[in-house]
Amino acid sequence: MIQFFHVHKNYLDGVPALTDVTLTIEKGEFVFITGPSGAGKSTLLNIIFGSEEPTDGHILIEGRNYLKIPPRELPALRRRIGFIFQDFKLINTKTVFENVALSLKVMGVGPSEARKRVLKALSYVRLQHRANFKPLSLSGGEQQRVAVARALVKEPAILLADEPTGNLDPDMAIEMMELFKEVNSRGTTVIVATHDKGMIEKLSKRTVTLASGRLLIPH
Amino acid sequence: MPSGFSSFSLYYALTDALGNLRDNLVTSLLSALTVAFSLAIFTVFLVVFVNLNNIAATWGERTHVVAYVKEGIKTGPSGTAGWPSGTAGGPPGAANWTEALKKTVEATPGVKDVTFISKEGALAALRAELKGHEGVLEGVAPDILPASFEIILDPSYVNPDGVRSVVERLRAIDGIFAVEYGAEWVERFSSFMRFMEIFTFVIGAFLAAATLFIISNTIRLTVYARRHEIEVMRYLGASGAFIKVPFLVEGMASGVMGGALSLGILFLGRYAAGRHIPQYFIFIIENPFPLWKLSGGLMMAGLLLGGAGSLVSLGRFLKV
Ligand SMILES: Nc1ncnc2c1ncn2[C@@H]1O[C@H](COP(=O)(O)OP(=O)(O)OP(=O)(O)O)[C@@H](O)[C@H]1O
Ligand SMILES: [Mg+2]
Repeated sequence: MIQFFHVHKNYLDGVPALTDVTLTIEKGEFVFITGPSGAGKSTLLNIIFGSEEPTDGHILIEGRNYLKIPPRELPALRRRIGFIFQDFKLINTKTVFENVALSLKVMGVGPSEARKRVLKALSYVRLQHRANFKPLSLSGGEQQRVAVARALVKEPAILLADEPTGNLDPDMAIEMMELFKEVNSRGTTVIVATHDKGMIEKLSKRTVTLASGRLLIPH
Repeated sequence: MPSGFSSFSLYYALTDALGNLRDNLVTSLLSALTVAFSLAIFTVFLVVFVNLNNIAATWGERTHVVAYVKEGIKTGPSGTAGWPSGTAGGPPGAANWTEALKKTVEATPGVKDVTFISKEGALAALRAELKGHEGVLEGVAPDILPASFEIILDPSYVNPDGVRSVVERLRAIDGIFAVEYGAEWVERFSSFMRFMEIFTFVIGAFLAAATLFIISNTIRLTVYARRHEIEVMRYLGASGAFIKVPFLVEGMASGVMGGALSLGILFLGRYAAGRHIPQYFIFIIENPFPLWKLSGGLMMAGLLLGGAGSLVSLGRFLKV
């Protein structure tokens, strides 16, 4: 369970990105975060991921005070979170396979098991045939799917997806969402930030709307 | 160990480090060469120092201490001078007495070897020295010169304090009336060796600092070149150790390579120097160590330098 209590976030230049956000996401839930560009969706996901700190407020994750978690425990926490970044954050000098495998390497998974799991994850996103390509030789949509595979391969407890369908054609977007639903049905909490209204309507899941950093429809 | 740092992590760290070495072959070679030259220069000073120290031991044998024997001590038990304690009772004959005195001198700490020069022997030596002018000694009584002991010191006593302590003890012996020694030479040589010791140490410290600086900067460049990758690894939940160990291994590997290279440089240098340095002086650059010790020591020193350089860099530039 992820709980936000009166969370505020102002970036260094004073721009308020989140204002008084109070929100509960249950374990195993599937939630869309939506709102116009600049509403604070990415900021919300980054705070859950621990790469941004809130300026004010409290956060509980699985009952633990998130802001009191010592930095050295952050890696262990992140291994349980799969994050599909808006800008993918792939390593361009490594192949698709190596990019996805890195997710398992940092967890100490052995090479042969890692190989099996990476190939399976690549088949989920239909990229087996691109395993030995470098990211820059792939299309935007293909790169995005590599990012999806890298997030899913570790079978995370929490999946954070920041515009995961932004670069995909409608059919592939639907396929990705089906994939997220399947992961969710196996117990992973899924939080998707998107402004794809069609997608939100099709899946009829809980939707949280942000506007200028404030929650529009609480809970 | 941090969670997620399994037995495979070490395997990954090693393979990653090797991959990095291959990717940064030029920079790795440059740091290896830095290590190699630093170690080679330091080793040259160390070798010269050790060789000088070794010959100091042989030169020590030439540091004569001469103890002159008192006149008129052959007067027997009633004589005032008496004879060294420990001598069996009864009037000792001259030969007996000398023998006993020699034993006492030999038993003095710091004395390695003793030769007795009789009065006649001393005169003969003087005569030999004055060859061609023996006339000067015409009519001189054969016992004009005192008998003496020529003493060779234990090498560990060939320093000002050591010599002084031996001389003090010799002077305290009954039957010895004077002790002479090359004080000035001992002082000078000993302070030269102390200077060499400090000089070698300073050179070593200076080279180590310079090498650490260069290695840490090389690693820093690598860290900088891979900062994006490091950021991604952090996002994927990599522990600090997972990120740092490959750099550490990379630094140590460059260091070991440097150690091995330095061995090559030293042998090439020895070969080249052999053709320019006069033969009688060549001993100064001859390797005094067993080969396995020299090569093992160089590679170990490289490993430590490389590892330390990486740690300095990681501590300063990679806050994980
Ligand atoms: N690192 C940053 N430094 C300063 N301001 C930032 C930073 N990141 C985001 N902001 C600002 O915070 C606000 C919220 O940004 P955020 O990225 O969370 O919006 P978003 O809802 O994800 O938008 P988009 O749909 O375009 O991705 C914006 O006004 C943005 O300019
Ligand atoms: Mg965003």
